[in-house]
Amino acid sequence: MNTKTIRLSAIALSVAALAACSGPQVRYGDAKAVETVNANYGSTDLQMIAEAMTRSLLQSKAISGSKDAPIVTLADVKNKTSEYIDTRVITDKIRTQLMKSGQVRFAVSVSEMQNQTEELKRQNQSGLYKNSTIAKTGNMQGAQYRIEGSIASIVKNTKDVKDVYYVFNLNLINNESGLLEWADEKEIRKTATR
Amino acid sequence: MKKILLACTGMSLVLLAGCASKPPAPVESAYIGQVPADPPKNPVISAEALKADSKSIAVTDIYFKKEGKNLTFVEETRTTTDNNISSTIVPKTIEVDADKANASAITGGANSSAFPVKFTDLSDPKATSPGTASPPVPVVDAATPSNSSSSTNAESMKRSGYQSNYEYGELRYLANPIRGLLIKSGYKVVQAKSTPAVPNQGDEYFDIVKRIKASDFGDADYVLYGVLAEVSSTDNVSDVPGTKSTSQQMTLEVTVDFNIVDTKTTQIIASFVASGEGKDVQIDGRDTGYKPSNAKLMKLASLDLAEDVRKHLADQNFITNNPGSAGQLRNLKTRLNDDASTLKVYK
Repeated sequence: MNTKTIRLSAIALSVAALAACSGPQVRYGDAKAVETVNANYGSTDLQMIAEAMTRSLLQSKAISGSKDAPIVTLADVKNKTSEYIDTRVITDKIRTQLMKSGQVRFAVSVSEMQNQTEELKRQNQSGLYKNSTIAKTGNMQGAQYRIEGSIASIVKNTKDVKDVYYVFNLNLINNESGLLEWADEKEIRKTATR
Repeated sequence: MKKILLACTGMSLVLLAGCASKPPAPVESAYIGQVPADPPKNPVISAEALKADSKSIAVTDIYFKKEGKNLTFVEETRTTTDNNISSTIVPKTIEVDADKANASAITGGANSSAFPVKFTDLSDPKATSPGTASPPVPVVDAATPSNSSSSTNAESMKRSGYQSNYEYGELRYLANPIRGLLIKSGYKVVQAKSTPAVPNQGDEYFDIVKRIKASDFGDADYVLYGVLAEVSSTDNVSDVPGTKSTSQQMTLEVTVDFNIVDTKTTQIIASFVASGEGKDVQIDGRDTGYKPSNAKLMKLASLDLAEDVRKHLADQNFITNNPGSAGQLRNLKTRLNDDASTLKVYK
């Protein structure tokens, strides 16, 4: 074994060791890019649903015909599919887009009430705050409407094909009258073949 | 010739331009130097009536009539020894509120355990006539020692009933915010003479016309008087949905029947029922044993009552909306300056 061979071996070993330390490769992708990894519920479905529902809701008479931006709250979106879907992400995304439009104001939803009551309790009942600056108990604004809905799916499998049909349903309900002021649905069909 | 032709052409053009122009637009409403007043809506509160001086009004304290019931127990112990009968009568009287008495065993109400006797109205001859009231139950005193040589027998009889009484008076804490809003509305508020209730007072206590004739309200043009219809306090606890907390809500609610009477004609100018609510909300208050401040509740209730009175007075055109606002003061000043003979027409 000559000196040249030894040197080359040493360099190769060093490169191999460095490569082992560097870990997996990470790269940023486009968050809006269409995701087709499999037929399960994914980010593209979330974006399609949120966009379609927001557009439709903003065109509804209850929202567009209102003189002042109506106060709305988020209620439950039921997951009736066999998959685990965090429906809160869907409604949060819809809420964000509606808020950006400036045509709707949102009151805290039931799931956010714990923090709200704790804050009110801290300000009103601790005795630590200047009276004129306290956010007083009893002045929360009630929502005129609530948004609720459901997502359901039909899944069919063969040896080579998986067909998934999602239907997302959203309703805007007048809290005082109980009337359904607006409703719309978004259908998504995904087929995966081997 | 050329000059004449040019002059004729010029004239024609001017005439054509005149015909083509739109008709003159109506003169826009313009207020110069003075803002128009709201037209006086209530026939009584006219510009003429207010021209020299604002009208004066007396506001009474809130009258109330409280029903009380005297519960009377009569315990009679009759002791029979051979041929002698001696009797000891021990009367007891407890004064309770009417609602407590009504909720007692008479109706099988919630206070049945607190007042576990059947009460009868002692002033009602039907209730106390024989055969209608429950017969007294003789109770043999078991503690009495029996003697074989001389027979001694003690019987205890208990009777009970109630007598209604009524208390009349004035609540002195609720009317001041109402006086304040009337002052802000431009009225002169006159102090009313208080009316102490006399012994065996009846409903003539509320006879406002009698009091007007007795000059209890000085030279006031109007008298606003209210009679307390109901006062209730509640203390409820409810869950706050979506949290682990509860909300303790303590409320004091007063409902008052109001009338405004013209002292000259005794005509009722406005009449309504107003209510006010004082509320204290405490999150998890029951857990911490929170006690509400009655003074705070009373203040909130009186302010809320005044606000409701303001709405009703505005609805019935006795005052303008938003008393105390700059616009209202301006209107009032204008109304005071206006004279029916010098009415201004604003275009």
